[in-house]
Amino acid sequence: MADLLALLPLIVTTAAAIVVMLVAGFSLFGREVMALLTTGLFMFCFFVQAATLVSMPFFPYQQTFGSMLAVSPFSGVAGLIILACGGFSALASQTYFGHNKGYVPEFYAMLLFAACGMLLLTMAAELITLFIALEIMSLAVYVLVGADRERLLRAEAVLKYLMLGAFSGGFFVMGAMFVYGGLGTTSFAGISRVLAESGLFTSPLATAGFLLILICFLFKIAAVPFHAWVVDVYDGAPLPVTGFMATAVKTAVFCALVNLLLTDGSLLSVWRDILWYLCVVTLFTGNLIALGQTNIKRMLAASGIVHSGYLLIAIISADVTGASRTVIGFYLAAYALATLGIFSALSTLSGNDEKRISFADFNGLAKVHPYSAAMITVFLLSMAGIPPTAGFMAKFYIITAAFSAGQLVLGVLGLISTILSIYYYVRLIAAMYFTTPEDDFAITGLALAPAGTAVLAVAVFGFSLYPLGW
Amino acid sequence: MITPPLSTMIFLPLLAGLVVLVLPLGRESARAVGLAVAVLMAAFSINLFALFDPISGGFAFYESYPLVPALGIGYRLGVDGLSLLLLVAAGALFPVVYLLFSTKSRGYYGCLLIVQGTMIGAICAADLVLFYFFYELMLLPIFFMIGLYGGPNRVGATLKITIYTIAGSLLMLASCVYLGVVYQAQSGVWSFAVADLATLRLSGTVATIALLGFVLAFAVKIPLFPLHTWLPDAYTEAPPAATFVLSAIMAKIGAYGVLRFVLPIFPEPLGKISLLLAFLAVVGMAYCGIAALGQRDMKRLLAFCSASHMGIIGVGLFCLNVQAITGVLYQMVAHATSVGLLFLLAGLIEERTSSRDIESFGGLGGQAPLFSVFFMVALLGSVGLPGTASFIGEFLIIVGAVKFNLVIGILAGTSMIIAVTYMLWLFGRVFFGPRTKTATTMRDLTPIESLTVLPLIVLIVVMGLFPGPFIDKIEPAADTLSAQVSRSSAAAGAILAQRGDGDG
Repeated sequence: MADLLALLPLIVTTAAAIVVMLVAGFSLFGREVMALLTTGLFMFCFFVQAATLVSMPFFPYQQTFGSMLAVSPFSGVAGLIILACGGFSALASQTYFGHNKGYVPEFYAMLLFAACGMLLLTMAAELITLFIALEIMSLAVYVLVGADRERLLRAEAVLKYLMLGAFSGGFFVMGAMFVYGGLGTTSFAGISRVLAESGLFTSPLATAGFLLILICFLFKIAAVPFHAWVVDVYDGAPLPVTGFMATAVKTAVFCALVNLLLTDGSLLSVWRDILWYLCVVTLFTGNLIALGQTNIKRMLAASGIVHSGYLLIAIISADVTGASRTVIGFYLAAYALATLGIFSALSTLSGNDEKRISFADFNGLAKVHPYSAAMITVFLLSMAGIPPTAGFMAKFYIITAAFSAGQLVLGVLGLISTILSIYYYVRLIAAMYFTTPEDDFAITGLALAPAGTAVLAVAVFGFSLYPLGW
Repeated sequence: MITPPLSTMIFLPLLAGLVVLVLPLGRESARAVGLAVAVLMAAFSINLFALFDPISGGFAFYESYPLVPALGIGYRLGVDGLSLLLLVAAGALFPVVYLLFSTKSRGYYGCLLIVQGTMIGAICAADLVLFYFFYELMLLPIFFMIGLYGGPNRVGATLKITIYTIAGSLLMLASCVYLGVVYQAQSGVWSFAVADLATLRLSGTVATIALLGFVLAFAVKIPLFPLHTWLPDAYTEAPPAATFVLSAIMAKIGAYGVLRFVLPIFPEPLGKISLLLAFLAVVGMAYCGIAALGQRDMKRLLAFCSASHMGIIGVGLFCLNVQAITGVLYQMVAHATSVGLLFLLAGLIEERTSSRDIESFGGLGGQAPLFSVFFMVALLGSVGLPGTASFIGEFLIIVGAVKFNLVIGILAGTSMIIAVTYMLWLFGRVFFGPRTKTATTMRDLTPIESLTVLPLIVLIVVMGLFPGPFIDKIEPAADTLSAQVSRSSAAAGAILAQRGDGDG
């Protein structure tokens, strides 16, 4: 019974996904109602997740189903972020499909199914479960990216994502197999126990297996050198889906990675040096890619690489105690708020067939839509880490965590990469405010996305004041 | 007196600014709101000055609420002798701006209100993270003011100042976090309170790097040579109010940051590089002075003049003795009043004649006599004529510099002569001689405008003739600080003394 209680958010989300699937199958509702229904269901799941999280101290259900799944405050928070991302993406989709083609009712069911996979991913405490969750999530996201088959750009994106994603999935399975062959267990706890007793390099098979698993994770979080897909795929996906991928997928994968690495820290201590170099390269490569973009979606994709680098800083400087999980959770939430906000604003403003998407298309936006421009500015400032936004506090916590762990150089390099990133964020702000409008920025149809955007803009400020437990 | 005084002084302009930005007010009502707030703020800050008791030591008007208790970050505010005069300047100087420039748009006044609130926040912050918070935040309104309301090359100037300042302040963030982590390692508890961090005495290589993080950030803000290259563009392209804010208050916050964080925490590593830093400041004085001589654009000339005069404040910062520190504290306000006023008056010339080109002027003295008198007093105040406020400040700094290192003292004293040259030359070219066509379009100050400017003129003279009441408020704090610096770094002090003797 306690097992099922722990799984309640997942069960509710799956049920919601099936309901939406059936509703879509019978074509019961129109486009607008589907969006509202999905948003409502995401909100409901969010509250169930929140209730589970709040009641966590009172129920001893940390390990469920024979240690296949583990529920922790961290996985609970990650679940909250994922469900919130789903809700805001559904809101943005409502507006987006108002002036873009490619709507199918099953789109919303896929959004919920992806969230199911992600929730499972956050709780996975064992390699096979982790793989199942990863595939549930990925399959749903492939469909979301390529739902609009008419457009060449989408087809290219989904092909790239599907092929590379399938490869990385294959790597993962292979790696899990090697690990099982080498260590005789697939559970995180078991792996850590064996590693603590005998050390990693006693088993070459397991060493190779972990390398393959690491590759799969690095691919999913778009860390260098497995980042090449991210710019094209983010660019090709519909705007709300890009927002959903950038936030929810990243949250889920990072949560799984943290669960795997920090079970007792012995695995992390092996990987730390490799991750250190990858992290530095990720930070600077991401920035260099972003500096050269003229398309906002591609710039945000590249900046997503940089944010992954930031999260890697937190992982590298993590210890087994709670603080590092808190820091990572805070950063993921802050990043999700700003990214979702900007994608929901873009879903509104990009217009028919995403016609406004380059920096120059937003010239003079502030004179026509001052509030939209102000909100986009807030999100960009949060991504850049300028106070008083949540992004600043998130960066602050990560740097503090890095310095506390003695990673002084890494922390300073992280800040230097932030200096680079200022340029491309400020560039968009300068385009919106300091140029004269050439476009009338006409927006058609009922739009829910601006409401979501406004909520997120307030949240970006509000969340920065959230007192973090260390 | 309103309670809590400091929070009110921060959030009154901040909230008023947000209201002005968000609500669809007209231009005139936005300005009226701004003026009302500025007058209130002036009253508050003068009242604060009167109530401040210099003897008690520590922070007065202290407020403290926990923000992130787990890391010891708090909303802590306080005023002491180091911040008092700057706080009063930041609080009291703004009504002039609203009264002199009445034709700007709503966003202009909104940004001006916000920048005042954030600057006061940075000055009052008694918590390092809170200080950083406001320190970085105060750039934002300036960013929009220059970018939206500046001159023709404003976008380039905006990007330049933004990248420079943010680069500096992010490196400072690393140093801030480092201080917190070190404090935690030494004492076992997290705290970012200034009072706690000031008990740290750091030395070693990492501490020197952390010191450089602070020095770089503040050197960009002040700006110290060779990090001053953003200044001429930003000051020239910015609208008058933004130039005023940048030169009069924001630059001083950089100097204040050095006094507040660098001197007490890093006495030993600072001792090693203070001679170099003081030398760079002197080079900056001379360099910007010579650059000012060659300018044709009045505002650009004043920009270099401001940078050159900030150089002497820089010299004072790194001399590490009580005369220099007192001089810096005094000179911060003197510079704010005189150079700030000069920028405002130059802004008026530009607004009324649509020209900044020095060559196109001549005979302005006959055209606008009242204006000329005020300009002359502000100009003499800025070059440090005896009887004006700057004389006291600069004199104290030179005394401190001579004590610190005779060569630096002599160089600094000599460089000040350049300022007299270009300022008097500027005055001669613009105000004397035959009246040019551009000069005839100049309108003199109205009685109301004269009454607006008059308090600043009076302040320049009063602070020059009767420094006692002001010095009394700041000297105890300067004493404590210099005692801290010399006591806790006996070794560094010995090195300094040696150097001083050697050079002498």
